[in-house]
Amino acid sequence: MQENHLAKWLSGELSDEELREFENSEAFPSYQKLKEISSKLMAPDFDTEKALKRLKDEHIANAPKVISLNPFKKFLRVAAVIAVLLTGTYFYVSTLNDKVATEFAERSEVVLPDDSEIFLNADSQIAYSKKNWDHKRNVDLKGEAFFKVAKGKKFTVSTDHGTVAVLGTQFNVENRKGFFEVTCYEGLVSVTHNNEEIKLPAGNSFLVINGKIVSARKPNGTLPSWMNNESSFESIPLKYVLSELERQFNIKVSTKNIDTNLLFTGSFNNTDLNMSLKSISTPSKTRFTIDGDNVLFYAGNTQQ
Amino acid sequence: MSNVCEDHVFSKVFKTHSKTVFNYIFYKFGNEEKAHDAVQEAFVKLWQNCATVSPEKAKSYVYTVANNLYLNVIKAEKVRLKHADRHVMDRTNESPEFLMEEKEYKEKLDNALNALPENQRTTFLLNRIDGKKYAEIAEMEGVSVKAIEKRMHLALKSLRERIDGI
Repeated sequence: MQENHLAKWLSGELSDEELREFENSEAFPSYQKLKEISSKLMAPDFDTEKALKRLKDEHIANAPKVISLNPFKKFLRVAAVIAVLLTGTYFYVSTLNDKVATEFAERSEVVLPDDSEIFLNADSQIAYSKKNWDHKRNVDLKGEAFFKVAKGKKFTVSTDHGTVAVLGTQFNVENRKGFFEVTCYEGLVSVTHNNEEIKLPAGNSFLVINGKIVSARKPNGTLPSWMNNESSFESIPLKYVLSELERQFNIKVSTKNIDTNLLFTGSFNNTDLNMSLKSISTPSKTRFTIDGDNVLFYAGNTQQ
Repeated sequence: MSNVCEDHVFSKVFKTHSKTVFNYIFYKFGNEEKAHDAVQEAFVKLWQNCATVSPEKAKSYVYTVANNLYLNVIKAEKVRLKHADRHVMDRTNESPEFLMEEKEYKEKLDNALNALPENQRTTFLLNRIDGKKYAEIAEMEGVSVKAIEKRMHLALKSLRERIDGI
């Protein structure tokens, strides 16, 4: 007989053989009677409708229902994402540098948070962090600019040719393709070029053309000439002079039969194109023609 | 999906299970009043948490709540069961001796039931009166079917021994 056979018998789970064996046992009539009589037992009365009514009247009417907070949670989730995005954007934007750029034939003046001034020559760009300015006075420069630096912490100008560091002074940095010139007009400027530091006292220039350090002229006056609307050159290859001419007048300069590596000494006015062209063509013994925004320089003996 | 918070779903769950909850608690403790209260409290709890209890879970939820209410709190009293006399009326041709004997037997059965351990009595009565299968009782009590079979077996054995005076 299997385990718990009485329970199995009651639920009708005994096998035929087991059932026969059990039915033949001495105790079977007693169990049979117990099974019969117990099936007639009844629990006390329970009125379901009445109990439900009591439940609704006494409890549910007053019982606060637990309300799902899911919709609010969803809202919070969205709000959190938005908050994170906004905060992230704020920090990202605030770390972005302030930028000032000039186009061809354009100039600009920038006053930095410490009242240092930057004058941007044509086709130049500076970038600096206004927010971080108190901690780090650094300006990234492309092109040419004249700096009047207020006294204070170290002031650096970063260019792809090198870094210029000062404490408080006036200096000009020209950072063009293949051309890097720093001219100090006041105080002392430290120029780091190819990991070499050069101290540049007032009235001196540091010039690198195509990666070679070139001994440069002494600057005239207390301002770079372009600040007085004049571009002046001393022993500078003609191609850089012509590039400057393009920038100042927003024109396109081409040459024919001219060695643009020849050195040019002279200056041109940044306001009068015709006069400037003459200022360049006469000393370089070239001729020029103008066609709209295009200027062609050609050798003096070339037939046009 | 239907939600227990909806009135008609809740009422349906109540009508289906309240009677068994009542009996369940009554078999355990033999106290009718407490059994009524258990029904009320179990279903109030279900209503309060209707958002988190699915209709499928509602059944075991109310048994669990009802059971936990009086765990170790009330001492079992005598379970006073009613005896169906309907069939007695049907069988008026039964001899007075027979009827007398049956009445005596029922008294013995009552006493024997009251002498059973609470869990055996509950299992036995849920099966005999409410017609619950062992699997259902096992779910209500939170034990295995095998444990319920064991309780049933022992209950039958004890009842017979007590009734037959062995």
